[in-house]
Amino acid sequence: MIERRRLLAAATLLPWVGAARAADPAAWERTVRAARGQTVYFNAWAGSDRVNAYLQWAAGEAAQRFGIKLEHVKLGDTAELVKRVRAEKAAGRSTDGSADMGWINGENFLTMKREGLLFGPFAEALPNFALVDVVGKPTTRIDFSEPVEGYEAAWGMAQFTFYGDGRRVAQPPRSLAELLAYAKKNPGRFTYPRPPNFHGTTFLKQVLLETAGDRKPLYAPAPADTATLLAPLWRTLDELHPLLWRQGRQFPASNAVMRQMLADGELHITLTFNPNEAANEIAAKRLPETVISWQHAGGTIGNTHFLAIPFNARSKEGAQVVIDFLQSPLAQARKADIRHWGDPTVLALDKLSAADRALFSQGPAPGSVAQSAPVLPEPHASWVEAIEREWARRYGQ
Amino acid sequence: MGAALRPVSAAARRGWWVPAATFALPLLASLWFALAGALDAGAWVRLVADPALPRALALSAGVGVAATVLSLAITLWLVTHLHGTAAWARIERTLGALLAVPHAAFAIGLALLLMPSGLLLRLAAPLAGWTSPPDVSTVHDPLGMALILGLVLKEVPFLLWNVAAQLRPVAQAAQLRQALLTGQAMGYSAASVWWRVLWPQLLPRLALPLLAVWAYGASVVDMALVLGPTNPPTLAQLAWSWLLDADAAVNAQGAAAALLLAGVVALGALMAVAAVRALRPLLRVRQVRGDRVASGGASRAVAAAVGSGALLYGLALALLAFVSVAGVWRFPALWPQVVSFDAWAGVAASLPVLGHTAGLALASAATGVLLAVAWMETTPAGWDERAAPLVFATMLVPGVMLVAGLYQLMLLLRLDGSLTGLWLAHSLFTAPYALVALAPAYRGFDARYEQTARALGRSRAAFLVRIKWPMLLAPLASAFAVGFAVSVAQYLSTQFVGAGRHATVTTEALTLASGGQRTLLAAYALLQALLPALVFGAAWWLGQRQARRLGLEAR
Repeated sequence: MIERRRLLAAATLLPWVGAARAADPAAWERTVRAARGQTVYFNAWAGSDRVNAYLQWAAGEAAQRFGIKLEHVKLGDTAELVKRVRAEKAAGRSTDGSADMGWINGENFLTMKREGLLFGPFAEALPNFALVDVVGKPTTRIDFSEPVEGYEAAWGMAQFTFYGDGRRVAQPPRSLAELLAYAKKNPGRFTYPRPPNFHGTTFLKQVLLETAGDRKPLYAPAPADTATLLAPLWRTLDELHPLLWRQGRQFPASNAVMRQMLADGELHITLTFNPNEAANEIAAKRLPETVISWQHAGGTIGNTHFLAIPFNARSKEGAQVVIDFLQSPLAQARKADIRHWGDPTVLALDKLSAADRALFSQGPAPGSVAQSAPVLPEPHASWVEAIEREWARRYGQ
Repeated sequence: MGAALRPVSAAARRGWWVPAATFALPLLASLWFALAGALDAGAWVRLVADPALPRALALSAGVGVAATVLSLAITLWLVTHLHGTAAWARIERTLGALLAVPHAAFAIGLALLLMPSGLLLRLAAPLAGWTSPPDVSTVHDPLGMALILGLVLKEVPFLLWNVAAQLRPVAQAAQLRQALLTGQAMGYSAASVWWRVLWPQLLPRLALPLLAVWAYGASVVDMALVLGPTNPPTLAQLAWSWLLDADAAVNAQGAAAALLLAGVVALGALMAVAAVRALRPLLRVRQVRGDRVASGGASRAVAAAVGSGALLYGLALALLAFVSVAGVWRFPALWPQVVSFDAWAGVAASLPVLGHTAGLALASAATGVLLAVAWMETTPAGWDERAAPLVFATMLVPGVMLVAGLYQLMLLLRLDGSLTGLWLAHSLFTAPYALVALAPAYRGFDARYEQTARALGRSRAAFLVRIKWPMLLAPLASAFAVGFAVSVAQYLSTQFVGAGRHATVTTEALTLASGGQRTLLAAYALLQALLPALVFGAAWWLGQRQARRLGLEAR
């Protein structure tokens, strides 16, 4: 009986174990064996019922394929995870931590890596790492200008995207200049979340990149005096703010709030980091089918979100097996499918077998980006603080 | 007479510190851990240098003062003109239900009514010719008016409930009737008697609830997120976001901001006490002036105020229900373009969470009431006031900070992530509220009952079980209901102490809220209101039944 179950499990494993080869197959086999019977507490932001449903599916697969109990620990804010692991470290809890796995990126990753809160390196030893598009998607190895170095495994891609109701925005503005022109014609119908909200700060970075004469210094650490380099940003904002919602004197708290304001008709244009968000929300019947998405033709900021393992995780083997499964073509294809989540894959489709590649073939859904733009890497992380501080001084009081 | 009782009281008194310590030790430890975070000079430098600080602090204080003063004024006005009428009896019956509506859920409902794309402006749209929501701040206004309105609507029922609790004990009710009859016989209108005789006696006993209202108003986060100003937000919101930041240095700045806010709250309370002392001679002159002012025709205005308050509550809750199925609902349509029951399907899928929430709340409410009763039974009355700061520390110190300390304590005890730890953490929050809810009835209990029972040779235990507690069943039940509601509303303590492993209706609602999916948010907000409402209803029913059985009705 047990034998047969193991055989079955092995058979289901085959499709991608065959495609991807672990750096050390024997070691990986030991990991998979050790993972059986473990409980993996996956700490992940839970603000989307579709993401939650996807993770529920993954839990079913993990139980069936690997005998792992995957528990979604629902977070309202990923900082909760960072704080919890830090407090555990401070209390001397170096084993038996409360989290086995987390969904992080950017600032949270940087903080956790610098403070020694992460287990690793592990990511580049996972079998499916071989399928990750590290060349075409360089942000799978550099996060918030910090080399990832195997301390987190790429899970999904993000690119700054705008969307709006096509009945109000007939000609989507595909550059900052066109956005300004639109705001002039339709004052009060666009805004951005109040920095340091992540989407608000990203909008500022996008404006910075689009207005900078020379982008090169923005990819190096910010100098002591940033005034000259940031001047075009403030000039543009000074021009834009009077045309924003509430004349730029107030800002919404998040892009989630903005999405609802768009749905109600209060805003014409909003922004997101998930190119499929609008398509997704249309499928969930929370946005009208007339909503369209677009990116600025000159390129928009892109990044990657990751899966990591805290240094004191109890089920490190289980976490690695789950992460490898979540990077598999099957799981990535389901995640990319707008009917389930609509989160773009981190894999290189040309590295996949024809059968696996077929999993990804789906037609465009209403609301998805029609014409994708190039990905711009984020400015060096040190610019964030400079921008946020000066923004607060100029507009935040 | 006292001699017969002394042995018992002395025995009780010897151990009186036990319930206090049970409550105070974890609280003090949490406070210590929490405050340690604010002992960072760099954090204070950054806080003072923050350009948003002056306005944010002014907003917090201003909102707190306005909400407290308005709530008190409305409460005084309503009680003066309504007490003793049939309407008052109706209001008293509904107070429990109003209190049971969680602040956050009520704020969301109110926002759905008031916001630019809300029901009111949709109704006005055809008249004004709007095709898009107007670009005006009906909520999130820079002065915090919407937040003050929301607070007043939540705090007036709380204060009314406290006044009712003060007047409900048989002895107080009789005294009140006596004063009104005497006053009226001397030619004073009932309102005059209230202002000159009754309020001066009652108000000092409302000091603690008023302090709670002020502290809550100045440090509220959940209602402020929905209704409050955004640029800058109130200091409480800033402190909350800083304390939740992933960066430890920003956390320290948040701890400093929270401490500053707590200091402002304490200072405000002290100033209010000083102002009352200074004004007392002036008030006394008015009290004994002896002029007979005719009772004004306030009754119509009072009825209108009560009616519109009730209407707002009804509309807010009805809108929550409506919006939970409104998928796409474009302005200015009155009916959604897409009706979807997906949110409720999601709720149905997480039904086990409901049972879990209720179980945890029952256990922590019971513990809270037990602690409060132990305190009342063993601690001399004089200590109530001395212990008040401790009790109110849980309400004064921003929840984020207290939770941070409590969490560190649980980590040391290795109780984090466990149900035991979660139960203890929730009990720490339910106990002070149970104490506040229970105190008036308990301290107002007629001591002669005990003397009679003792004279008849009954043991103290028999007296408590057979006479005192049955007579106090109604306040005990409502204290339990308050504790239950407090436990259900816990978010941060549940997430941190429980390591996120023990989901409740509130953690589900708030994690979903972070994604801004309104249908789901509305459905969970309703659910969050439903559980406490059931318990408040049960408590009220129990109290009524007991009152009938014992013939305790005041009237």
